[in-house]
Amino acid sequence: MSTISAEAGGARQPGGDTGAASAASGGATEGGPVVRAASTPGRAWAATAGRHAVMVVLSLASVFPIYWMYAGSVRRPADILSQNPLPWPLSLRNYSHVLDTLDVPVLLFNTLVIAAGSTVGQLLVCLLAAYAFGVWDFRGKNILFLLFVAAWLVPLQVTMISNYLVLNKLGLLNTLAGVVVPSLCSTAAILAVLMLRQHMQAFPRELLDAARIDGRGSWTTLWTVVVPNIRPVLASLGILLFITAWNEYFWPALVLQRANSVIQLGIRGYLTQEGSDWGAIMAASGLACLPIFALYVVLQRQVIDAFVRSGLR
Amino acid sequence: MFVELAAPATLLADEGRAAVQAARPSLARRLLAATPPYLYLLPALACLVLWTYKPLVEAVQLSFYDWNLLPTSPMTYVGLDKYRQVFTQPSLRNAAVNTVVYVVLLLPFSVVLPTVIALVTRRLGGRSRDVYRALVFTPILVAPVAAATVWRWLLDPTGLSNQVLGAFGLAPHNWLREESTALLAILAITAWSMCGFAMLIVSAGLTGISGDYAEAAAIDGANGWQILRWVTLPLLRTTLLFLVLTTVLLSGQWSFPLLDTLTQGGPADSSTNVYYLLWELGFRNFDSGLASAAGIVFFVVFGLIAAVLVKLADRFSFHDN
Repeated sequence: MSTISAEAGGARQPGGDTGAASAASGGATEGGPVVRAASTPGRAWAATAGRHAVMVVLSLASVFPIYWMYAGSVRRPADILSQNPLPWPLSLRNYSHVLDTLDVPVLLFNTLVIAAGSTVGQLLVCLLAAYAFGVWDFRGKNILFLLFVAAWLVPLQVTMISNYLVLNKLGLLNTLAGVVVPSLCSTAAILAVLMLRQHMQAFPRELLDAARIDGRGSWTTLWTVVVPNIRPVLASLGILLFITAWNEYFWPALVLQRANSVIQLGIRGYLTQEGSDWGAIMAASGLACLPIFALYVVLQRQVIDAFVRSGLR
Repeated sequence: MFVELAAPATLLADEGRAAVQAARPSLARRLLAATPPYLYLLPALACLVLWTYKPLVEAVQLSFYDWNLLPTSPMTYVGLDKYRQVFTQPSLRNAAVNTVVYVVLLLPFSVVLPTVIALVTRRLGGRSRDVYRALVFTPILVAPVAAATVWRWLLDPTGLSNQVLGAFGLAPHNWLREESTALLAILAITAWSMCGFAMLIVSAGLTGISGDYAEAAAIDGANGWQILRWVTLPLLRTTLLFLVLTTVLLSGQWSFPLLDTLTQGGPADSSTNVYYLLWELGFRNFDSGLASAAGIVFFVVFGLIAAVLVKLADRFSFHDN
């Protein structure tokens, strides 16, 4: 056992951390071969300044609406139409108003339950499927794999009526479970299978063979050899699935059909109800995004890597 | 490696011991040895069949019936009537045209601009690059309804956009309530949330390209533009294909929460698209037949577009490995 995990610790690098490693070394590998147009130091400097300018503009455009949301939420209600980019004096009155008029804790809790439930369920289902696709050869593998990829093409709006009727029959309409269960094969889950499959394919065969010779069954091998070694991948995938589930709108809106269920539906109802009390609406929206932004601040690198890597294939 | 039939890698350890005892495994045992991959696939496969493929088949069935989704009311067989409606109803044609306009106008922001920016800034390194990455990524994290409310405020007659217009002496414009600009406003919001993210995807694709190809081309005398056109872009094609495909297939989905929160497809259906219309047909008009028929037609059309795009990407391929 100890030899296996020691070896696996070393073997983790190529499979697990490629994203971070290549991102870190990216600047170096890209620099060399491309022919540089700049012939003088002055032009090279101008080119660099131009690149920074492009990125600064894009960054500002990306962040500004988010900044404006939080800036608006901490203005005094009387200052809400102020164009001053710095909200001053600060006031939390919008937040206290929202907490009085909208049941934010319950909305956030429901959203959390749905997001966590989908994430755990999707990870489990996808892990098993990826294990089958990545490690085994079996009859019908290609056709079954095609079945997974092709499901990506089926829009929710084509399957929604039947699924709605099934949930109705099962008594799951208006329940959190009714949101979670169909999400187990969402497009995000399919991407997760494809991603995990690649890591399973890259998993060192010697470790699997060693486990088999040790007399371990495939189930034990999965949990004692494979999972501990792809833990970083599972973690970043989990973050990705969690954020996707947190921001999911269509299916919760259809299944829950009431404003006091998840945070996005709550805000949507609040928007119609409060009309143009923009300060309060910004505070509610800001609260809806806060958990994800908190996650992002803590795990910024993993979040970006997970998303970008999932988009690669 | 757990190859089928090659080893008695059964689920249970004692099963394996039994296999060793029997010199030649019986047929039943060999079947048992072949089952693990299918068992591992079972949960995911069951979900796919239950929530994607069975409903797809049922949608085909529903498209031949007139039914209002109430279990108590009868389903009447109407043959191809609903399909005829799909091709003759102006609202469906309008939604289809809007979807095309929407996808075509979004492509510059979800593919072209991100690619250009990624190429231009690929040699930025160090800490500033990390900061930019962190910042341009944030819009994709914002919950769609929250994004909708912020933009609604920004685009409101009293909001910042119109205050800026006012500063230049221009009359305020109600972007989301005017037929001429509602679709563009929704488009701008989607473009905002996609652009930086798409740029990161292209950057990641560029990082994965070995510099040897460009170097070889440079030694052969290729200039910067030729290297870009004949080496870099062909090597990027998987990434670009992915971006084009997701834009075509999913842009309607991304805009759904925005439409539902901001315009409800209006004013006068000017901002609606096929996905929003399908939802309205099913759950506003309760016309399950028409919703299903239209859904099947759009599914087939999108499937064909995807197939053509994949074929095109193959034509431009350049076998690097």
